Amino acid sequence: MANNTVPTKVKERVNWPITILLMIGTLTVLFPLYMAVVIAFKDPSEMTNDIAGILSLPATWSLDNFIEAIQVTDFFHSFLNSLIITVVAVVVSILIHSLAAYAIGRNMDKKKLFKGSYYFIVAGMYVPFAILMMPLVKQTAMMHLDNMFGVMILYVVFYMPMNMMLYTGYLRNIPTALEEAARVDGASTWTTYWKVIFPLMKPMHATVAVITGLAVWNDVMTPLVIMGGSGVNTLPLAQMSFQTQFGTNYNLAFASYLLAMLPMIIFYIVAQKQIIGGVTNGAVK
Amino acid sequence: MQKRALTRRSFLGLSAAAAAGLALTGCEGERADGKAEVEIVNYKMEAASYFEGLEAQFNEQSDDVFLNFDSPNDAVTIMKTRFVRDDYPEVVAIGGDATYADFVDSEMLADVSDYPGMANVSPAYQEIMKSLTYVPMDGIYGVPYVANAAGMLYNRDMFAEKGWQIPTTWDEFIELCETIKAEGEVLPLYLGYRDTWTILSPWNSMLVQLVPEDLTRQVNAGNAKFSDYYRAPAEKLLKLLDYAEPGPLAYSYNDACTAFARGQSAMYPCGSFAVPQILQVNPEMNVGLFAMPAADNPDDRIVVSGVDLCWNICQAKSDKKDSIYKVIDFLADQENLQAYIDDQKAIPCTEGDFTLDPLFDDILDFIDEGRLIDYPDHSYPSAMACDTVLQGLINDQDVDAFLAKWDSDWQRYNKTVMRTVQEYEANQG
Amino acid sequence: MANLATSKAGSDRNRTFLMILIPVLVLFVAFNTIPLLTGFFYSFTNSKGYGPFEIIGLQNYIDLFQDARVGNSYLFTFKLAVVSTILVNVLSLILAIGLSSKIKFKSALRGLYFVPRILGALVVGYVFTYFFTYIVPAVTGTDSILASADWAWIGIVVVLVWQACAQTTIIYITGLSSVPEDVYEAGALDGATGWDKFRYLTFPLIMPSITTNMVLVMKDMLMVFDQIVAMTGGGPANSTESISYLIYENGLNNSQFGFQCANAVLFFILIAVVSIAQTKFLNSKEEQL
Repeated sequence: MANNTVPTKVKERVNWPITILLMIGTLTVLFPLYMAVVIAFKDPSEMTNDIAGILSLPATWSLDNFIEAIQVTDFFHSFLNSLIITVVAVVVSILIHSLAAYAIGRNMDKKKLFKGSYYFIVAGMYVPFAILMMPLVKQTAMMHLDNMFGVMILYVVFYMPMNMMLYTGYLRNIPTALEEAARVDGASTWTTYWKVIFPLMKPMHATVAVITGLAVWNDVMTPLVIMGGSGVNTLPLAQMSFQTQFGTNYNLAFASYLLAMLPMIIFYIVAQKQIIGGVTNGAVK
Repeated sequence: MQKRALTRRSFLGLSAAAAAGLALTGCEGERADGKAEVEIVNYKMEAASYFEGLEAQFNEQSDDVFLNFDSPNDAVTIMKTRFVRDDYPEVVAIGGDATYADFVDSEMLADVSDYPGMANVSPAYQEIMKSLTYVPMDGIYGVPYVANAAGMLYNRDMFAEKGWQIPTTWDEFIELCETIKAEGEVLPLYLGYRDTWTILSPWNSMLVQLVPEDLTRQVNAGNAKFSDYYRAPAEKLLKLLDYAEPGPLAYSYNDACTAFARGQSAMYPCGSFAVPQILQVNPEMNVGLFAMPAADNPDDRIVVSGVDLCWNICQAKSDKKDSIYKVIDFLADQENLQAYIDDQKAIPCTEGDFTLDPLFDDILDFIDEGRLIDYPDHSYPSAMACDTVLQGLINDQDVDAFLAKWDSDWQRYNKTVMRTVQEYEANQG
Repeated sequence: MANLATSKAGSDRNRTFLMILIPVLVLFVAFNTIPLLTGFFYSFTNSKGYGPFEIIGLQNYIDLFQDARVGNSYLFTFKLAVVSTILVNVLSLILAIGLSSKIKFKSALRGLYFVPRILGALVVGYVFTYFFTYIVPAVTGTDSILASADWAWIGIVVVLVWQACAQTTIIYITGLSSVPEDVYEAGALDGATGWDKFRYLTFPLIMPSITTNMVLVMKDMLMVFDQIVAMTGGGPANSTESISYLIYENGLNNSQFGFQCANAVLFFILIAVVSIAQTKFLNSKEEQL
């Protein structure tokens, strides 16, 4: 990638020892994943209490569990709701949090107000959700936000502290000289941000998107308490139906979890490309 | 209500993308067809599809009441959040447990002793409902629908094949366990004590036969101490460990159900509620339930039974009682109730000519005679997490320490209740 | 940095920054600070979270300091957090360096190492409890560590580390990606390789990522909840009850809302102090480099 810009660079060879070590390391991931996949395909009557039973392959590779899981969770509806919430929350988070981090990050070294705001917001990370939950239920209902819209707003607020931290940390590595140059050319702070700084933070946008996206995608408590019982389900909410008071159908649940996982893996791989792409951009500068 | 529906609608305009999901929430407020709406939020998700059928049936035949039967996931949390929002459903359907006691204590539920159909509810279950509240109350705050029972689940086919008899006393039980252990083919018991609540099943079943029924209230009134009564049940609880798999704290409820279903153990101290999970693993299994033989005299045996589902009217909606009672009447109808107990392997709380699942064959006499007592843990304060205290006993095997801890924790977590009870007693003179 | 801003900062620039800051603060206060203050108020009541309640003054706070279970949960949580934070950061940094070097199947490997973060708590909990309950004892001939009040926490650490590495690693990868290539090239000309390259070139440049990760992981570990529910439910004998677990379980399921609000307030203050100290310490290290 960087080869184009630095012609003198010695072409690096593939580092096979590291590749092999990393491949061996993936066993720690593949083994649990294997178990999850095998369970997802089995019938409940194939579940046993010994090693051989759990590690054995399913009697048949039938998609019945997946089909039933899709029906039980009303998959396509729930999926769409989860997707809308996640996409909106992630996009808004990237726009607002990076901007806020820019305002704060560039000023916190010398202005009390900004430094105070930084610690004020970041401290929000440590508020246990359980204490906020009931007050938020009341508050969102009073504001008529006990719906998907309210859930999205809450996510933007909940992940603000963490993203603020990530963005301000990343901004430290972006030299102010670039902004200065833009300003000398007569660009406003606002324009400078969107034209110069925002694109430069692309790798961090991808990271924030992945972390926030996943957290939102998997979260069950917020939609449960804010809009639970309204008939609008997100995927994790719908997946709760596999666990009843006195029984869990792990086979259906696992099939459903694997289905829910796929879009996130694709999303992650796409985002990863952005992170790698960012290296090239950085190297040009 | 109206106002909320409006804002919801205006929001639809704002976010077209979200419309698909939100359109489902329209049905609040007054109905266009003039019917009174009765919304039931039901915690028993397992029975959701069954109730959906009944809902359609009811709405077809009723010309003045519209039934909206909802069985959401994690319904109890949803009920609490709706209370916080002052958005009350007409009826919450919960079990007769700590949640019920809390809801009554918070004045969320209406007294339903004026319900005409209450006369058909077996007295045993009316008593059980009354025993649930923290302090004795005059009214009754829920109409019991169905119940479950706990004791000893056993593998009928295995018992028949080996010629084992159902034990009726503690000594017979120990003898049977020794026999099974000596034969060495299967374990006498399997325990899933990693899930703490499963410890409560044998504990409750033994407790009702070994300690006075009103012990908890006596303690709360300041007249008794647990440590004077709980030694025997605690020692018997530990004795069970001798006949189970080693290290039961490693295994979950699910593990234990699977092991029992696969014939790894002959018995499983649990309740009728575990049977669906067991049958999921082994649909062919012939499971029976007998009364826990914890006492020395067979006549002292009592079956623990709790209300698994009851209809509770929200106080805020008590003006709609007439419509609500129509719905409850319909649900309690002989035919509908029979269908429910067939579907869910439950015990009806209403008196009548019902056919119970063969699961209950060995405790039919108890049910008919009303030799039933509610789970004693229902009167434990939930914050004390008595199940984890019992898990501590299993872990440490120290009965003295357990008894001391139980009494001291009780004082710590039950302060408010004890004060209320003692005030109540003082007022009663 | 400071020079630039003080000399050239026009009022326009300052106004823009304020215009950005204020709405963000309003949003944050509305949906974080206000409910927090409401919760703080509840900590002086005997509320169940719904229904009527009474104000009982400082009683909850007094009870808090006399409650052995609460005390235990603090000890457990901090022990867990310190051990896991160190392990997660060391492993993730190694993993991130590996995944950022010139390797084959880069995308596939990065994708795979991220999978633990995607798997839901139920799956992870089930798979790992199975692993500890059946597989480990069968291989080593010992009892399950999850059944032991002394060792169950190790099982939780294993799962936490396994799952947390995914996210921490991508933050490190992002950090490494911001290290300009020419730094390495200049270093390569000077003959810097292996450990030296890491110690003198990479390490100082990713110090901000280290600070971020230490704080974020520490926070996640201190607030651990899902894995406890999925694996031990706080047992055996309350030995793995984390603070968040206790606050949630007893506050919302077991009607101790007011009391657990007091617990949450105490926890919030403690954890905020710990992280500010941590940040200060790490920042001072950053400046030394």
